[in-house]
Amino acid sequence: MFKIKKIILGFALLLTGFFAQSQSGSFNTMGDDETVLYRMNKQVGQFVKRFNLEEDPFGKTLPVTDKKYHNNKLRKKMLPGLFDEYNPRTSGELRKFFIDDVTSSKNPVFLNFHDKNWYAELSVTFLAGGDEVNIILYLTLEDENLGSKWVISNVYYSYFPSLFPKIDTNQSKNRFLHPQSHELDFMNLHKALEDPAHIEYYASGSYQPDFLTLFFYQMKTGQLKFKEINTVKFHFFQIPNWYFELSWFNRNENNSGWLISNLKYIDEKQKSELIKAYKLCASGK
Amino acid sequence: MKKLSYLLIFVIGLGFTGFAQDDLSPERKQAVDSLAMEKVRDLSKYISIIGSKETPWSEANRVIDRAEELFMQGSEIGVSSLVRPEVSYYGVRKYLERLMRLNYSKVEISWYNIEYVSDLQKQPDGTYVGVITIFQKFKGYDKEGKLIYQDTTKKDITVYVKRKETQIGGRLIGFWDVLLGDIRVKETSK
Repeated sequence: MFKIKKIILGFALLLTGFFAQSQSGSFNTMGDDETVLYRMNKQVGQFVKRFNLEEDPFGKTLPVTDKKYHNNKLRKKMLPGLFDEYNPRTSGELRKFFIDDVTSSKNPVFLNFHDKNWYAELSVTFLAGGDEVNIILYLTLEDENLGSKWVISNVYYSYFPSLFPKIDTNQSKNRFLHPQSHELDFMNLHKALEDPAHIEYYASGSYQPDFLTLFFYQMKTGQLKFKEINTVKFHFFQIPNWYFELSWFNRNENNSGWLISNLKYIDEKQKSELIKAYKLCASGK
Repeated sequence: MKKLSYLLIFVIGLGFTGFAQDDLSPERKQAVDSLAMEKVRDLSKYISIIGSKETPWSEANRVIDRAEELFMQGSEIGVSSLVRPEVSYYGVRKYLERLMRLNYSKVEISWYNIEYVSDLQKQPDGTYVGVITIFQKFKGYDKEGKLIYQDTTKKDITVYVKRKETQIGGRLIGFWDVLLGDIRVKETSK
């Protein structure tokens, strides 16, 4: 009985899965709430496999020899189902151009777990002196020894940039150590050290504050205490000229689970600038 | 069921002797996936027994012991609900004991016929790690038999797969051992 049910369900899923645009919304009428769970992108890994068309509608991995494996015609039909369909940013013309690009017969694009340039973004609540503060942590995958691991690659805490406002050129005119300071045993250094608000003016012109180190310092000294993780989302940069964001949608319908929640067409130069924000500490690796 | 798991470990192990392999071929991965699913099904079954109000106290405690054996030491269960999105963390035993003590006259725990098994990825020490997703429906009834609470939860269960060796009849036999790890329990609907 279960087998028959599964076959019928499988056939229906095949149709809804591969023809998501035309069938969207009609599936719930079967009255079997498991269908919603089948359609949901339950794991990020499942999103990737569906993006590439590497698994069947039941989540079983397709053998490379299967006709459906990486089949671009089918991918073109099923990819719209991987976008948040209620978001105008991810349901319009841009989506169509994106799908055309990643399913191009000459140069199709597939995602891989071990790709570089995809990042997790966690919105986390910490306690700073008893007050709740929101801090964004960025994580990226890094190879190590026999495998890989997620590492904290950067942090955004609004307090940190406020410690380092943009250097005021007028104020910087008088804040430097003249080139003969060494002959005076650096006796003028006290001016820098007694004015910590501007101490960075005495650093190299190429100096960039490392906020991740500041974050670790505040954690180690107890100035910040972890409270809870609020949300998790992912940023994908590995597709040439495209960026997309992946978020979790908990809703009782076919368009649910991990879905594309933002999509942008950006040139590679812009992209590398954007990536810097995600992996500051990993630069040079 | 436990015997079957050990038999599977043994069969998988025998299949690999002579290879001294640390990598999983697709065929081996399939066998390891089955073994992992077996453990997850054992856990599902144990949860249903522990949660049931018909299970005697001593029996429930015995099943908690069995369930604990499925896990890597130090594993945690992170639970959130639609009204309380912040995650509460429990040790495996504490989580199961809370389940046993739930204040309902009757409890129904059922499982959707859907399991999603991720790819296995190697962590730095060479141990493979994967995640199996299952869905549970919970219903709690009062003395009058009235349904007073229900929810559906998504359970993302960490699975560790490690190559181990044991001596049988003086020969070193390699096998893949599977242990469960942290579980993220997220309520998806009421």
